[in-house]
Parts: sequence; C-alpha cells; structure tokens
Amino acid sequence: MRKLAAVFLALYATIAFAVLEVTILKQDENAFPIVISPFSVKGDARQGEAIAHIMRDNFNRSGEFNASSAEHIINSEIDFEKWQAKKIEAIVIGKLEQVSKKIFNVEIELIDTYTRKTLYAKKFAVHNSGIRRITHYLSDQIYFALLGEKGSFDTRLAYVTVTNKGDGKREYRLEISDSDAQNPQTIFRAASPILSPAWSPDQNKIAYVSFKNGRSEVFIQHPFMRRKTQKLPYFNGIASAPAWHPSGESIIMTLSKDGNKDIYSYHLKDEKLTRLTKDVGIDTEASYSPDGERIAFTSNRSGQVQVYIKHLKTNTIKRATFEGSYNAKAVFSPDGKSLALVHRVDRDYRIALLDIATKDLIVITDNKLDESPFFSPNGSMIIFATNKSDMGVLSVVSILGHQTFELASKAGEVREPNWSHYSK
Amino acid sequence: MLKITSLITATVLLSSCSTVVEELYQKVAPKPSVVNTEESIVAADTSSFESQEYGGNYTVKNSAIHAATSELKSTGVSFVLYFSYDGSEINEAATKQIILHANFMRDNPSLNLRLEGHADERGTREYNLALGENRALAVKEVLGLYDLSSRVEVISFGEEMPIVQTHDESAWEKNRRVEFIYQ
Repeated sequence: MRKLAAVFLALYATIAFAVLEVTILKQDENAFPIVISPFSVKGDARQGEAIAHIMRDNFNRSGEFNASSAEHIINSEIDFEKWQAKKIEAIVIGKLEQVSKKIFNVEIELIDTYTRKTLYAKKFAVHNSGIRRITHYLSDQIYFALLGEKGSFDTRLAYVTVTNKGDGKREYRLEISDSDAQNPQTIFRAASPILSPAWSPDQNKIAYVSFKNGRSEVFIQHPFMRRKTQKLPYFNGIASAPAWHPSGESIIMTLSKDGNKDIYSYHLKDEKLTRLTKDVGIDTEASYSPDGERIAFTSNRSGQVQVYIKHLKTNTIKRATFEGSYNAKAVFSPDGKSLALVHRVDRDYRIALLDIATKDLIVITDNKLDESPFFSPNGSMIIFATNKSDMGVLSVVSILGHQTFELASKAGEVREPNWSHYSK
Repeated sequence: MLKITSLITATVLLSSCSTVVEELYQKVAPKPSVVNTEESIVAADTSSFESQEYGGNYTVKNSAIHAATSELKSTGVSFVLYFSYDGSEINEAATKQIILHANFMRDNPSLNLRLEGHADERGTREYNLALGENRALAVKEVLGLYDLSSRVEVISFGEEMPIVQTHDESAWEKNRRVEFIYQ
C-alpha cells in the first residue's frame, strides 16, 4: 500500500512540476482574425470547450492568427454581416456528441465569412484519450485550409529543465511535451548536465548528450517504448552535438578521439563511423540539410567562430557566414534554403536567419544571450533559449521576427529546445 | 599557404615554450613528498562535478591525496588556471604553475591528475564544450613535456558548471578555467 502511495506521489510530482507556463505574446496587428466558436455539446460538456480552447491557443501561438471566441455557440445559421462588420474573416464551428462512455463524434466546419463557403469540414469518431491529439490534427488542417501551408501543431517539443536542489546540487530533466507544452513527460533525469536533445525523423527516438558517466556521451532513448536507452560506443574524449540524418539511419556528432574536435557520422545499424571533417580547429554543432546532401557546422578554422557548409557528394567545404565575428549552431530550415544560427552583435548573442544563396543575414531577436535555435517543422517559427529576469526560458519567434510565445518553468530554467517532425 | 605559415608559427611557439619550460624546471627544486595516511578523512577540496555527485567514498588513498595536495596548495600553487575569451593559450605565468604541478606529480607517482576544462556562458553550449576541452588539452600538452601524459585525464564541462552564476565579465573571467583535480 505504501509502495502504491509512493508511486502515486512520484507520478503526481512529475505532473505538478513539469508543465511549462505558456505565455502567448501580443499578436501582430496584421494577424488573420478568426473566431473559433465554443462547440455545441451532447454529453460531457467539458470536452467541447476543451477542443475550442486548445484550438484557439494553437492559432494564437502561431503568430499568424488572432483567434477569439464567440459569446454564444455559433450554429450553422451564421450571421455573416455581423462577423464581416467585426472584420472576422473565418469562423470555425463544431459539434461534439458523446456516443458511449469514452467515444465521441466530432464534427467541425471552417467557413469563410466573406464568400460564405465551407473551406474545410470533417466528421469522425474519437476516443476520449485522443481528443487533444485530434484537436492538434484538426488545427493543422484548418491552418492549411486558410494559409495553404502546413501548421506545426500535431508535433512535439523536447527540452531540458534545470532546478536547484540546494547545496549547489541541481537536477536536470530531459522532457518531452506536445507542441503546446501540454502532456509533459520526464524521460530522463540526472544530477549532471543534459545537452542537445534531438528528435529522430520518425519521432520515436531522442538522441542527447549526458554527463551521467562523468563525461559527455551520446545516448539514444525510445520515449514511447519499453526499450533500454542505447549508449553509443565509447570514443575517447568528447562525444556530443548529435543530429539525425533525414533517413534516421545515422547520426552525426562531434568526437575528439584524436584530440581534434571533428564531425563524424555514425551508422546505427552497421555501427560504422565515418569522419566528415578534419581540421586542427574546433568543428562541432553539425546539422543535416533536409535532403541529407549537406551539413552545416560551426568551426573556428579561420581563427573566428563561423558556420561552414559541406556538400557531402562533392566533398567541398564552403564558409557560409561572413557577417560578424561569431556565428554558430546553425540549423537548416525545412526548405533547405536558409539557416537559423547564433550571431554575435557587439557583446550580445542573438538569433539570425541566413539566406544561404544570397548570404543575407537578418537578426531576428534582440536579447543578450540567445542560443539553440530550432525551426518548427513547417518552417514558420523558430524556438530558442534565452534569459528572462536571469532565468532560462524558451521563446518562439516567427521567421519575420515577431515574438509569438514563451515557455517558462516555475521550478527553474528551461533550455535546449528541439521541435519534432510531424506525427505519424 | 596560410595554413603552412600558421603551422610553422605554432611549431616555433611550441619549441620556444618548451625551452622556457625546461629552464623553469631546472630552477624549481623538487619537494619531498609528504604523505600522511593517518590524517583524518576529509572531503576532497574540489569543485569537480564528479566529486559532488559521487562524493563520500573516501579511502586511505583519498586522504593521502588530500594531504599531499593540501601541502602543495599551502605553497601557493594555483589549482585553477584562467583563460581569455575564446582562448586556450597558456601564458608564461600559467606555464610556471603547470611546472609546479609537474614537479608534484613526479614526486607523487601514485597520483593521477584530472584536468577539467570550462568555458563562460557566452556563445553556444556545444562550442563551449569543445573549447573547454581545448583548454584542458593545452595544459596537458605542457605536462606532456615531462612525460606525464599517461597520468593525465582530460574532461570538459563546457559552460555547464560555472563557478560564478551572474552574467557579467567578472563572472565570465572566473568561469573560463581549467581545474586540477588529483585522484
């Protein structure tokens, strides 16, 4: 009995402390005005409001929309003149009907208030436990119907939290959550630092760096399966900065087994190690282009810290950044045309976007210590780590530089964000 | 061409450095090793993450290490070396300190040294992890001139284990460091 209580307490503690606080920041004035009506409900009413609420938050977090509710449930007879007068361009209405204890029928419709046409409609049955996931899926569908681009809602985040335990001791947790920070789970905890979590392309694995054995090593964990965490073979020196090949079959990482810090590719099935860079300087923070044909990495080979791109087919390495004395930790955008990176401006470190072809660099944040940028899977947003009131938080900007939302922990710092691909 | 020039410069620097090291070494008289195994068991004085986490298992050897390193510390030898921003160069003052450690290691052949490299918080975490290792490797390189490499282990914690938590130059200069931990 006591054991059961302990298990319950542990579970409760995880849930209570792990949820990040989401702050949706002021919307851009040009954001797309839409109304997401409360759903009409037959049965358990809470689920209906939950769907509309999750959906509104999704659209507002995207920075592209200004999503509001309606005073009353809007049914199929819509007062179009009223909504047009309020400059509302589209309306989402829905029905939720409880058909058994845990099964609901969901019906949703997206209507253009000016053309009065239905842009998207869907009806299906869903299990109670799948309502949140379905809501993210529907949000992606509506986002696509309105903008002609994919949303990034049915996806997941990974991040590291750090809490002070007193006596100078800290607890590090590797956590995963839905794209709206809900459903958080701690998948690994340690008294030593955790760095660089990276979702595998199939979204079933996470590679990360842990110091649990006293030095930096790369591990691969299966958060949704009862499978043992895989430790990559021991290489002398540093093993760090893992990133996945788009096929998911290999990862690239930094090893210093010869003293030099260079980029290596490790094939997980063949257990074969291939060296990709060779230089006396530091080469690290490699990431693959979406087609797997290029890698971007940080190197101080010129005497300054800059970003380079290696074409793997031709074996050529070219410097990618020329503006500023410090550019690092570049990641490719989903279309492969630009890089998000850390760029020093005077004494501050900020996030910048680099157009690879034109070499144009645009600084999109204005803080002091921004780091670890990562694109949302649709490429419309960049999540990064920053400091706010001396505390590590995650912040999200649109690629145009509009801040959209912030993720903070009451218990301590949040850092090292990574955004998964689309769920399957 | 540029690479060749820098390689030559590096070689010249290294060889001139080793001459300085040799000269300095001649001037430093080896100290008698005093290992008091009866000394009461005390926690090792290190800020190493490892010892914080796994601390508590102090054997006779640990207390001997403590006694020997306490004596070395009492002579004013520095157990932490500091570095410039993004730098891993060992200057002359630092070289002198490393030579004192080299002497100590020769006098205490049963002790091994762990060099922990650290960086300040500026710049990216993974780059700083690499930078911290370069700093520790630079110290090891000097010790290598005394054939001590096999007894030296290098570990980097990057910017993860700062000594001072604030976000200013006075904190950063204390955090860019290599710590000497005997074991």
